[in-house]
Amino acid sequence: MPPEAAVALDPAAAIAAGFPEGSVVPQEGPGAPTDQPTWVVRREVLRDLCRALRDNPKTRFDLLLDVCGVDYPEREERFESVYHLYSMPRGRRLRLKVPVAEGDARIPSVVPVWKGADWFEREVYDMFGVVFEDHPNLRRILTHDGFQGHALRKDYDPARRWILTEDKIYMPKLVAPPGRSDSMFERMTINIGPSHPAMHGTFRFVAMVDGEEIVASEVEIGYLHRCMEKMSETHTWQQVIPYTDRLNYCSSFINNVAYCRTVEKLLGVEVPPKAVWARTILSEFSRVMDHCVANGSSLVDTGALTNFWYFFQVREEIYGLLEAVCGARLTVSACRIGGLLADLPPDFVARCRRLLEFIPPLIDDVEKLIDKNRIWIDRSVGIAAISGEDAVNWSWTGPCLRASGVAYDVRKAHPYDLYDTVDWQVPVLYGGDTYDRYKVRMLEIRQSLSIIRQLLDRGMPEGPFVVDDPHVALPSKEACYNQMESMIYHFKLIMDGIQVPPGETYLMTEGANGELGFYVVSDGSGKPYRLHVRAPCFPIFSTFSDLMRGHSISDAIATLGGLNVIAGELER
Amino acid sequence: MTELEARPEALQLPGVQDHPKEVRPRPMSLGERLYLPLLAGMTVTLRHFFQNIFRTRERVTIQYPEERRDYSHRYRGHHILTTRPDGSVRCVACFLCATACPADCIHIEAGEHHDVNVEKYPVVYEIDMLRCVFCGYCVDACPEEAIIMSNNYDMAFYSRSQSIVGKEDLMKPFTFDPGKLGYRPRFPEEEEKRAAMRREAFDLVAAAKAKGEPQSRVAAG
Amino acid sequence: MEVQGESWLTTKLEPFVDWAQKNSFWPLPFGTACCAIEFMGTVSSHYDMSRFGYEVVRFSPRQSDLMIVAGTITDKMAPVLKRIYDQMPDPKWVVSMGACACSGGFYRAYHVMQGIDEIIPVDIYVPGCPPSPEGLMYGILQIKEKIDRERKASRRGGKRKGEHAA
Repeated sequence: MPPEAAVALDPAAAIAAGFPEGSVVPQEGPGAPTDQPTWVVRREVLRDLCRALRDNPKTRFDLLLDVCGVDYPEREERFESVYHLYSMPRGRRLRLKVPVAEGDARIPSVVPVWKGADWFEREVYDMFGVVFEDHPNLRRILTHDGFQGHALRKDYDPARRWILTEDKIYMPKLVAPPGRSDSMFERMTINIGPSHPAMHGTFRFVAMVDGEEIVASEVEIGYLHRCMEKMSETHTWQQVIPYTDRLNYCSSFINNVAYCRTVEKLLGVEVPPKAVWARTILSEFSRVMDHCVANGSSLVDTGALTNFWYFFQVREEIYGLLEAVCGARLTVSACRIGGLLADLPPDFVARCRRLLEFIPPLIDDVEKLIDKNRIWIDRSVGIAAISGEDAVNWSWTGPCLRASGVAYDVRKAHPYDLYDTVDWQVPVLYGGDTYDRYKVRMLEIRQSLSIIRQLLDRGMPEGPFVVDDPHVALPSKEACYNQMESMIYHFKLIMDGIQVPPGETYLMTEGANGELGFYVVSDGSGKPYRLHVRAPCFPIFSTFSDLMRGHSISDAIATLGGLNVIAGELER
Repeated sequence: MTELEARPEALQLPGVQDHPKEVRPRPMSLGERLYLPLLAGMTVTLRHFFQNIFRTRERVTIQYPEERRDYSHRYRGHHILTTRPDGSVRCVACFLCATACPADCIHIEAGEHHDVNVEKYPVVYEIDMLRCVFCGYCVDACPEEAIIMSNNYDMAFYSRSQSIVGKEDLMKPFTFDPGKLGYRPRFPEEEEKRAAMRREAFDLVAAAKAKGEPQSRVAAG
Repeated sequence: MEVQGESWLTTKLEPFVDWAQKNSFWPLPFGTACCAIEFMGTVSSHYDMSRFGYEVVRFSPRQSDLMIVAGTITDKMAPVLKRIYDQMPDPKWVVSMGACACSGGFYRAYHVMQGIDEIIPVDIYVPGCPPSPEGLMYGILQIKEKIDRERKASRRGGKRKGEHAA
């Protein structure tokens, strides 16, 4: 196709053509990523280009999914800042890459275009040392203030630690907004967390209050930054799976699936139907489990303890199923690249059916207790409300976004596994507040159970549970004992790991909190060159201090549970 | 699902064209204002209360030290080094488990075996239980079924040095209780169960044939 | 009535205090990560730690005597953990739950503390990633035995542990 025709067909290309020559170059040809269009952009035009892409009615890239860095020490322009954009109205994706050299690592910030870029850019600054100009609050986010160097650079030793002493602990200097001089209270600053009775998890929230009302606040995270991305660079592709378990540990199976799908895409491996079937069912059970924890803990924070026990009964029963499949309750590591770790147990279907009978009465009980309970309604309706437009600008996805009236669900928008073969709907509510986040999750639990029921009715597909490819999956033990060839493959796979061809890809999966994306770069060695997790609750939590303005501290605690911020995923 | 009747917009998929600029919070009905639905909630908690008092068999609590949860044959617990018939360790010190371990918690020192058919054996085989994440990769990697897992989770240590478990402890005979085996490459008890299920289905079909019923319905059931 | 310089009352009181202490820990869950979820499982209906008298889960260090460190402790969290430990009144015990708290687990990384015993003394290490609720309860019951043993040792004139030197 001649370039002019491409420009005519693709409105995004038309926008790119409006910029000076050489400043926006599509990556094409051999070695270029094939999963979505990729442009290499000069930093001078970045902000204008982004604004044009967002505002042009033909492109409408309204969602900034992710910003991450990649380090290529051998290149002249060593760092690359990678932006993943998504257009909800058009269903299109676009990747922008902005290369910068080490001595002059400065990029204009895109926070004026998408507010959600705030924390993403801070993370790139923290991990690579790339400076984002005009960023409102550019300082370290994941590592502590005594940290020196930038951890995800290739020349940083993965085990080099720095000790944080108490005098270096960061204390935000909150600037109170002007106005409200009629207040009769003295303004004071309250520090909550990281270990605080009301703060479950490991976040620190510093708020300036005027009486009961929060006028300014700042959130500090990084208390559970476990360096998962750096660790994955030192392990083989298969060994990364246990690390993905511990991202969103409330629904670790979905993380397994998301990671394995990404690597399978790079490898070009077709997963056998039985594994796909089981993955879909177990993902939905994990989603139910995650929503149970999210709602349960959110309700506990408002004093509704009874529901927590009911929700945890659901969880324990699902744990039983997961344990029967893979031998662990929480951190399952149940997927392997190309399938599952073992064949399904013989009573798998019977167990699933029993769960389908056990769960709905408990969910009904919770709804009876909570749905119309005025105490809960008073605590949640209208609290921390955010409109759909703002939520998208803040890069929200998942149940929280659907509670604000935007029906974006990866399972519907970009169906994978078996989601396009079953009949289900996306629950959407329009309140955008804590109540509707709770309600959307309750509705989703029922949809998930419906998906599982339909898949069980269809029956378990016959066949292997893992792909029959000795370059990807370990051969069966029988083959290993009896055939020399299988034995050699077995040794090679363990010693060298899976050889993933060079390339890069981004693949999204609907996690329990929203779009869970894995951006992986392979250089052809047995280990990931770069693995970045697009954690759904990372941008959601970045909105927190904005959401809380005008509310009280007790509302902040109730909101936190409703957003379902999981530290393992947030800080990785 | 009364929520849907009150707010029919839920569960409908509007085309994602324009994102709502305003929020529409849930309205509160008169009954809710008067706290009436709390009575329904009371009945739920009271039902659970009486159920737990009178239906003792349905109580979910596990009385731990006396009573144990029924874990499956795949549980990933304390490791076991299996033995040959003569009681010596089956491991041939090939280092595959140590390589596959993401936590790097297996330490092996290999030695020459007096039997030339075996070639090597581990002089030292240690697992740092506090590093181990119980992912089961060592079991997958072992080409000899020399390392398997038990469903024994009763572990606690008083010190870091105590937690490095050596060859002798991993080979302790108590762990060979067949009811206590965990994650392994093959699960014979499951094979038996599968065979039993197959036999059962076969019997059902045979019985149906004898009665003259159509087979497809039985097979589907 | 004097027995070797100690009054009858104190010799009888001490076992009573120990008995009360070991059967009614007030745990302080210092939960940060995955293990905290399993800790929630331990206190909820399926396992119900209150059967041992340990149900008074307090998030305030001032009222607790058993710290359960559940989850990864990063270098950023370390000063916080240390301070909270210091705020607990003596005698106090520490359970390190899960691989991360015990040794750093498979995070041999630039931001993860390689075991909380770098900064605070630990009485019981519970392995697992995360340990099952039974495993955690087993660990806590071991503390009970430990208190018994220490009491006997102190009768023989040894130093009472629990009142940590650190």
